[in-house]
Amino acid sequence: MKASRGILILLLLLAVAFSLATVLQLRTPRWTRRSASDSVLALVFGESRQLFANHFFVKADISFHSGYYPSMFDQARQAEENDNDVSHPGEEEAPKPESGFLGPPTDWIDRFGRHFRPTLHMHLQGGNIREILPWLRISAELDPHRVEAYTVASYWMRKHLGKVDEAEQFLREGLRANPESYELLFELGNLYYDNRHDAGRARNVWLAALRLWQKQEPGKSKPDNLSLDQIAVHLAHLEEQEGNLDRAVEYFEMAKQVSPEPPQLQKQIDEIKQRQSRAGSLSPRRP
Amino acid sequence: MNSILRTEDLCVEYRSREFKQTAKLALKGLNLNVSAGEVFGFLGPNGAGKTTTMNVLLGFVNPTGGTAHLFDVDVREPIARQRIGYLPELTYYYKFLTVEELLRFYASLFEIPRLETESRIGRLLKLVELEHARRQPIRTYSKGMQQRAGLAQALINNPDLLLLDEPTSGLDPLGRMKVREIIRRLKEEGKTVFFSSHELGEVETICDRVAILHQGELKVEGRVDHLLARYQCNLEQVFLKVLEYHPEP
Amino acid sequence: MNKIFAIAGVVIKELYRRKDFYVLFVLTALITLLLGSVNFFNDDRIARYLKEICLLLIWVSALVIAITTTARQIPAERENRTIFPLLAKPVTRLEVIIGKFLGCWLAVGVALVVFYLFFGVISGSREHAWPVLKYFQALWLQWTMLAVVIALVVFGSVLFTSPAENVTICFFAVLGILLLGGHLNTAALGQKEPLRAMFYTLYYLIPHLEWFDVRDIVIYDWPLIPWLDCLLATAYAAVYVVLFVFAAWAVFRRKVLTT
Repeated sequence: MKASRGILILLLLLAVAFSLATVLQLRTPRWTRRSASDSVLALVFGESRQLFANHFFVKADISFHSGYYPSMFDQARQAEENDNDVSHPGEEEAPKPESGFLGPPTDWIDRFGRHFRPTLHMHLQGGNIREILPWLRISAELDPHRVEAYTVASYWMRKHLGKVDEAEQFLREGLRANPESYELLFELGNLYYDNRHDAGRARNVWLAALRLWQKQEPGKSKPDNLSLDQIAVHLAHLEEQEGNLDRAVEYFEMAKQVSPEPPQLQKQIDEIKQRQSRAGSLSPRRP
Repeated sequence: MNSILRTEDLCVEYRSREFKQTAKLALKGLNLNVSAGEVFGFLGPNGAGKTTTMNVLLGFVNPTGGTAHLFDVDVREPIARQRIGYLPELTYYYKFLTVEELLRFYASLFEIPRLETESRIGRLLKLVELEHARRQPIRTYSKGMQQRAGLAQALINNPDLLLLDEPTSGLDPLGRMKVREIIRRLKEEGKTVFFSSHELGEVETICDRVAILHQGELKVEGRVDHLLARYQCNLEQVFLKVLEYHPEP
Repeated sequence: MNKIFAIAGVVIKELYRRKDFYVLFVLTALITLLLGSVNFFNDDRIARYLKEICLLLIWVSALVIAITTTARQIPAERENRTIFPLLAKPVTRLEVIIGKFLGCWLAVGVALVVFYLFFGVISGSREHAWPVLKYFQALWLQWTMLAVVIALVVFGSVLFTSPAENVTICFFAVLGILLLGGHLNTAALGQKEPLRAMFYTLYYLIPHLEWFDVRDIVIYDWPLIPWLDCLLATAYAAVYVVLFVFAAWAVFRRKVLTT
């Protein structure tokens, strides 16, 4: 009798649990979006995954430098040395030889310890570049709004690893998460221009990037002029190659406003104008 | 006769870590002498100092005064324990080992050659009736089996002196009888047995000499038959008289 | 020496009859194989991330095994009262301490060999190369580092009554040294006296376990470490081992053990 009562109570509890589950399943999406996520990392970490995204982006950089990388203590010391090292206006600074972040060993422990870790500044070459990709992938997975993970990965994949399709797919994935990102559009344009040799598509994408930049950046106290410079210069070169010299000049002028090296751009503008005038003098005059 | 076990003015003082607590004198000038070949019973109520004496003899506790020797070697030297066997009251051994592995391990601590070790393990397991369980881990043993395993490890080095702390504690009557038989057999082989016990009936039947300890002091020591004749009663009565215990009418 | 090896043998038996090692090995293998099955941009030649994760898991697992196994040796003997029949034999407390240290160290060594064999299989399957000498150096240096850690934990196990206390403190100490030990001199420069002096004192006193972490050498295919440097590092570790073991014995010999 007691055993059967126990079983009945268990069955009743099971029935209650099942009923609650059917009710709660409809309500829980309102509480959190985590359970609806496709990503395992999003499910496990929730919003805290952004904290780890930066770590893995740095890991990619460490991987690129084959483990030779400053710790936060080295970075702090370098920052302090840079702060202390203020040139007086008017004085010329002698060029410093590159000594890396390690500097000379401070004691025997430091000296001996360097035998057990990477101590030369070097970059991955050739196919070995592929080794940074997993970290960039994971970084992007953890923080889909970290645009540089997509652009850096795409650059190395299309330029050095011959993985153009994968690079495009990754950039498009980034654009789905960041539809307003001019950096991603710019990199996509580079892919079309450099790898697919499709000037038309490259132009369209770069123009879209330019429009986005013009929509987002001008109101800021420190607008991203470097990106504008790059987009404008690339558009200028494209138009120059297509023979649209007027437009090329326009874009060079745009870039000159924000470029750190305006004389260089002015030189290019002058060259184009000279070519235009030569072409104009050679064409037959109308009666 | 040869003195196997000897203490002279043995004192042990326990200092408390508690603030303003005085030190406790567990042993006050204990003088004991155990000769070769005898079975010696070490008696006393709880807290008398029996376990403290055992701990000093085994080197677990350093005396604060006096000396203790086993086979004329100071007990603080490890070599003093080369010829002794010890069975603690609470028998705990490495639960993940089998009794065979346990005996092999302890034999290696005595540096007994391998062949001799295997032969002794066989004999001892037969003696303590654990042959059937030699390959089972000790954690699967009953209390009685663990006690018998403990007896086997105490005998692995064929000791000349056996120190037993309440050897029949927790055993059923059959188990107690077997332990008594083993002690008798050891005596016949010329071994010396020094054991503490609360089972005064057992002590009376198997011991040659006894000592009764109370509050760290030796109250009486002598041959069992002499004590029984002197006090004209059984050992239990002698025990109560020595402790000056008078039951309420 | 036979007695020391006999005590060590019991420690090794205990480790391999408990579940800890197998659980950690299976976890390491599972996580590594899972990550190895992930497709990154259709390139199956990517190997370094897998090596890095596998070596990280090996390091964590070996540290866990070393610290948890060692931390419970002496306290468990006392709690289970197996210390009494042990010390009732003609064995000194120093032999017990050395035997426990050696047992833990050898047990961890065997675990490391298994872990590194697995690592060799995984990295070899991607890179089709087996830099055996480099793996040997990494294994040897890690095992040497663990000797220092085990000796430290043995010392802790006679100081602290609770194994949990010992495990927590030693874990924090070891992780602190691994992550920050090599940077204490840099950190000291940014401090004022007397903190600077304290940092420097700590820097010179602690065993520099970070030297023995040569995972980057293995992962990024740097050249072999000079054998003389390995030998000097081993000698350095040996000094700390002797120090901690001696300190453990000095405390343990005065411990009152009552049945």
